[in-house]
Amino acid sequence: MIRLNKVSLHLGNTDQNSSVHFELPLFEAKAGELVALTGPSGCGKSTLLNLISGLRRSEEGEVVVSGVDLKNLTPAELDRHRGANCGMIFQTFHLLAPFTATENVALGLRFGARNHKNPNKRAVEVLKRVGLGDRLDARPDQLSVGQRQRVAIARAIAGDAPILLADEPTGALDIQTGWEIFSLLKEIAEEDNRTLLLVTHDPAIAEKMPKSFDCSELVGPAKNILGEEVSAS
Amino acid sequence: MNFLLMAWRYLKFRWLVSLLTVIGISIGVALVCAVLALRHESERALSRDAGLYDLVAGGKGSPLQLVLSSVYHLDSPTGNLPYKVYERLRRDSRVLWAAPVGLGDNYSGYRIVGTEKHFFELPKRNGEPFFQFSKGKVFEDRFEVVLGSQVAESSKLKIGDTFFGTHGLVDVPGAEVHSDFPYRVSGILSPTGTAQDRAIFGTLKSVWEIHETEDLMHSAIQGSAIMAEDKTKETTAILIRLKTPGLRLWMADEIREGTDGIASVPINEIMRFQQGIIGPVQQILLAVAWAVVGVSCLTVLITLHQAAERRRRDIAILRSLGAFPREVATLVFSEGVLLTAAGILLGLLIGHGGLALAVGPFREATGLLLDAWQFPRSELWAVLSMGGCGAIASLFPAISCYKNTPIQDLQLSD
Repeated sequence: MIRLNKVSLHLGNTDQNSSVHFELPLFEAKAGELVALTGPSGCGKSTLLNLISGLRRSEEGEVVVSGVDLKNLTPAELDRHRGANCGMIFQTFHLLAPFTATENVALGLRFGARNHKNPNKRAVEVLKRVGLGDRLDARPDQLSVGQRQRVAIARAIAGDAPILLADEPTGALDIQTGWEIFSLLKEIAEEDNRTLLLVTHDPAIAEKMPKSFDCSELVGPAKNILGEEVSAS
Repeated sequence: MNFLLMAWRYLKFRWLVSLLTVIGISIGVALVCAVLALRHESERALSRDAGLYDLVAGGKGSPLQLVLSSVYHLDSPTGNLPYKVYERLRRDSRVLWAAPVGLGDNYSGYRIVGTEKHFFELPKRNGEPFFQFSKGKVFEDRFEVVLGSQVAESSKLKIGDTFFGTHGLVDVPGAEVHSDFPYRVSGILSPTGTAQDRAIFGTLKSVWEIHETEDLMHSAIQGSAIMAEDKTKETTAILIRLKTPGLRLWMADEIREGTDGIASVPINEIMRFQQGIIGPVQQILLAVAWAVVGVSCLTVLITLHQAAERRRRDIAILRSLGAFPREVATLVFSEGVLLTAAGILLGLLIGHGGLALAVGPFREATGLLLDAWQFPRSELWAVLSMGGCGAIASLFPAISCYKNTPIQDLQLSD
């Protein structure tokens, strides 16, 4: 389902010595698999998610998602891939402030490859599923942080994307709410047989995931064209 | 939810900035529209008056002054012509219609025009009578008068009412009132939308009689239609309609050569006046208005750019949800178009609404009736140009959003 093999890329400004090098020998996740991505801040966990979603491109190696090597896709095809295959959840929710919960979810269905026929109806369905049936018309500033993350989860699952990419979804929440959100995400992924890649700093949450991938060694000093490390000046 | 609705929600969300931008655009649009509409309408109104007559004959002086005083009831007359000149012109086979104009007095600032009964038989260019009576009839006795519609409206005089004329062409405190000669209202004209609405028409004989019996000192006032010491009857001006307008210049030459006076073609004088005096002023106003529009478009550009900067995260979120670059660019462009459209609509309303408010005072001052809700072709082009400027200003942030990669912006915190 997802396979990243010998992937490498520079992060930051590649013209300067301040850049770092991301190198991933191999990462695989099967369809419906739940994987926790762990490691310290800046180790490349989010970069891994961005490579899978097509928000970043690898410079070398292959990034195969649902049988397609993303390296060969045009920018427009990458947008389509993201819309069709990936549901993204962020630490800070990333909801659109002027819109209600229903509209936030429906807007995710309105654009790009999703272009759902009845986005509002679908938005209400998924919001009810995440326990927000009574908050359909609330704007983000009228919702608690836990409810905001539920809206973000609803938005991610609304398009029936087979892969959920959750970048520290509990990072901005208190412990209890964090556990509720994690449980909800896990439950949905299991019920729908979706692949869930979840970035977390919380060892307790990582322990509850069937599989864990340590990203600690993915990022190192930048390398030149010969593969030699470039020292910072 | 379509792009326009989404854009509207974003504009509503930051309503104050949106409102200020719309106001900025609307001020520029209002100025341009008001100047263009005013120019168009004043040209139309001036031409309407000037087009009524082929020639105006009067005493020696400025041809423009002659037209302004006898056609528009503004400015002082140039001097007098012998009445016999009028009699000769009226008998001329090339003349369709001619009427004398005798000036000298006013009532509440409205000029009392001494003329003859057939003045009201002036035909329009299509042959229909130009003057219509809304009440009463034409004067029969020498001290009966017919009121222009605006005079009747503001003076509240009714048929049968009497009043006294005051010496001079403008209402000056302390001016001599001709209290021995009461005028009686015999008729009220329907509005014509011309300077005739602000005139009072009486018999030329009454003007002669008043000034004949008053102090001869009055004769010193230039242009007074008085009888000269040698009792030669005079008239201030003669309004002439020819059977063939093509004879205007020929006839004008004949009048100049055959009398001590001058003759001018009103439409030519007015066009010269517009091009020489009003035109440059309007051009300056128009240039200022366009500068305001330019600044307004710049405001749209800055506002949208700032909005797009503030919304980089939102745009990135949409991109992360799979939105195509052209879709987010369309969204940002839609916002600009909505702002511009709202600014233009509000500007049109302010511009023409302001003009509508000015119609009354303008008519009071000049007698010219403007139609504030006329939209000249030049204004259509101006509005289209301003819409184009707004659209171009909206394109820049849209292109910027199109080109932006969302990855950095997604890391901006809430």
